[in-house]
Amino acid sequence: MQLEADTAGVRRKLIAASCALLTAATARGEETSVPQKLGRLLENWQIQSAVAYYREDGRVQAIEPVVSAARETADGGKIDFNFTFDSLSGSSPNGASPSRAAQTFASPSAKSFDTARHTYTVGPGRLPVDPNYSDARAAGGANWTFNLSRLTQATVGGKFSYEDDFYSATVNASIDHSFNDKNSTISLGVSSENDFLQPIGGAPVPLSDYALFEKGGHKSKRGEGLLLGLTQVMTRSWLAQANVSLDRFSGYLNDPYKIVSVIDGAGTPVLYVYENRPDSRTRRSAYLENRVAWHRSSAALSLRYMTDTWGVRSDTAQVRLRWWNAARDQYVEPTVRWYRQSAADFYRPWIVNNEAQGPYLSADSRLAAFHALTYGVKYGVKLNDRLGWFAREGTEFNLRLEYYQQTIQDGPAGPGGLSGLDLYPRLKAVLFQFGFNY
Amino acid sequence: MLAGTKDAPLIGPLLMEEREGVLAVRFSAMASPCELLLHTIDRASALELGAIAAGEAWRIEKKYSRYRQDSVTAMMNGRTGSVLRVDEETASLLDFAAQCFELSEGLFDITSGVLRRAWKFDGSDRVPDAAAVECLLSLVGFDKLHRDGTFLMIPDGMEVDFGGIGKEYAVDRVYDLLVARCPVPFLVNFGGDLRASRPLPHGPWKVAIERPDSDQSAAMMLDVEYGALATSGDSHRFLLKNGIRYGHVLHPRTGWPVQGSPRSITVAASSCTEAGLLSTMAMLKGTQAQRFLEEQQVRFWLL
Repeated sequence: MQLEADTAGVRRKLIAASCALLTAATARGEETSVPQKLGRLLENWQIQSAVAYYREDGRVQAIEPVVSAARETADGGKIDFNFTFDSLSGSSPNGASPSRAAQTFASPSAKSFDTARHTYTVGPGRLPVDPNYSDARAAGGANWTFNLSRLTQATVGGKFSYEDDFYSATVNASIDHSFNDKNSTISLGVSSENDFLQPIGGAPVPLSDYALFEKGGHKSKRGEGLLLGLTQVMTRSWLAQANVSLDRFSGYLNDPYKIVSVIDGAGTPVLYVYENRPDSRTRRSAYLENRVAWHRSSAALSLRYMTDTWGVRSDTAQVRLRWWNAARDQYVEPTVRWYRQSAADFYRPWIVNNEAQGPYLSADSRLAAFHALTYGVKYGVKLNDRLGWFAREGTEFNLRLEYYQQTIQDGPAGPGGLSGLDLYPRLKAVLFQFGFNY
Repeated sequence: MLAGTKDAPLIGPLLMEEREGVLAVRFSAMASPCELLLHTIDRASALELGAIAAGEAWRIEKKYSRYRQDSVTAMMNGRTGSVLRVDEETASLLDFAAQCFELSEGLFDITSGVLRRAWKFDGSDRVPDAAAVECLLSLVGFDKLHRDGTFLMIPDGMEVDFGGIGKEYAVDRVYDLLVARCPVPFLVNFGGDLRASRPLPHGPWKVAIERPDSDQSAAMMLDVEYGALATSGDSHRFLLKNGIRYGHVLHPRTGWPVQGSPRSITVAASSCTEAGLLSTMAMLKGTQAQRFLEEQQVRFWLL
């Protein structure tokens, strides 16, 4: 009977269908098309990539692509690589203070004030900025973490950074030891950095007259760092971390492009001199972070205190919250960061001609007393299997928007003609970042 | 069957036990006790193979359990009415489900889960209203899905559930992963659905199949040398009204429980997927179950 013949064939067809299902599953381990090969190549790698656009109001703008790749090694360790490329352009303050009159400056590469091509003029009352500032930086690093024992891990790594006028290489090593049922981890890290500077036009002689173009050759500096940390699992949903660190830099620590205005009693600049910073800086810092998670939310609160031998003390507090939606495939992460620092002992927005000065001097606003607030929000969406073969667990797109506002604490009022000028303009910046994790 | 409590942790412990030269690595997945049995092997290797087995079982559970909000199944069912791109594995499972639908003449249907909206098999007498069942039938039918390669569109109101093949598929996947890596005879057993690589040197594997009787201790002992066993049954899930027992196997064409099915059907076949499908289809044949299985020329046990 036809019907019986059909039913009896069910098993044969079923064998064929099961076989197709299972061989397809096995074969997926050996796919050959290009995207699948790529997928296999990346199979054990976690890739994070992002492009950030940063813009300071009226000053520099930067584009920064970042990519990092990490994978677990067969023995439970980890290896990771990262690469960054920065491209910065715009206007950067040169350190001179505003003036009632227009001021003319030479570009770093100029040998004299001869040609208009190598000079720029800043209008009356304006903060002097070099309008042709541009810089490109390529940086990369790698770390390898491996197990020394069941409870002890070691990491060795290195990084480099390359700019036209600056090369830097760092090596680092650390050791982590867990105890107390792996609820506590103590870490000890050391690092060593060597930098080589080849400023455009040469490294200026500190405190020399800017108009004399007295410049030397290349310079170098080095740094050593030490970090001691403790990470503690407090409860199933609370993790605390505390670090103390000590680092020391020595060598040429000046910014070769920064100058200081020397003014007369009427507030008129009479000359500009190159800055001069101490040739060593020792920094101590303490860091505390608490992370808690509950239901579909998590929060991280971190505090940092830093003090150095230049007299700069800073405090940072940051709160980051994250909320997941019910399906746990989208999150919103608002962040607020507050930062405050005191000025370096030798920070002077300008100096007055013929008044006694210490040997060290800088008008770099990064060494001024200021406070800053950053507000940010990040939105992320996990793709899971929404893109078919391409997506996998952890595939995520995210967007970050940050607004930064820095307020320099008002220093001394300017004498004479400087009074009434905005000597300490606020800095505002926005950051827009688009990220993709795979 | 593929089940799992909502938001259950997916990474559980692996337990090891040795008896008469057989090492058992046990874990829990898909709401079932799972074990990998290995003949004479060192504990470190056993644990490594056990981790592969558990990892694959948990991966499949996480990916396909309809109880997990982050599963592919939940994603597909949550986006009915729009065209989805599914991954290759899901597409293969859908292809397989399509072939099973076809060769069972619509009896095996991964879209029949919507009938559960009317039927709650809790041992009570709450038999649903015939009109409600009739209404849900319009949302059942694998042939109503639109598929093209890895593209899928599930019409609004419908849902898919890989529960009918997930556990058997997991057994076969684990078997395939281990067969290349495991030097000794082994047997993968996920809650009674199992597959053996080859017999033990001194004879067949002895496996206990749970009987659908209330007396749990009276397990049926079967000998397995090669191949797979799968069991379908309605042991614990039913409704009872006016002396009629409504088993949990629903006929996807009528929306009502299949009458006259054996309480439990165990089938032996070369793969667990094949055995599982044969036992499920036989169950859906009701009174014709035995005849269907005889026609297939497979070994089977009815209770």
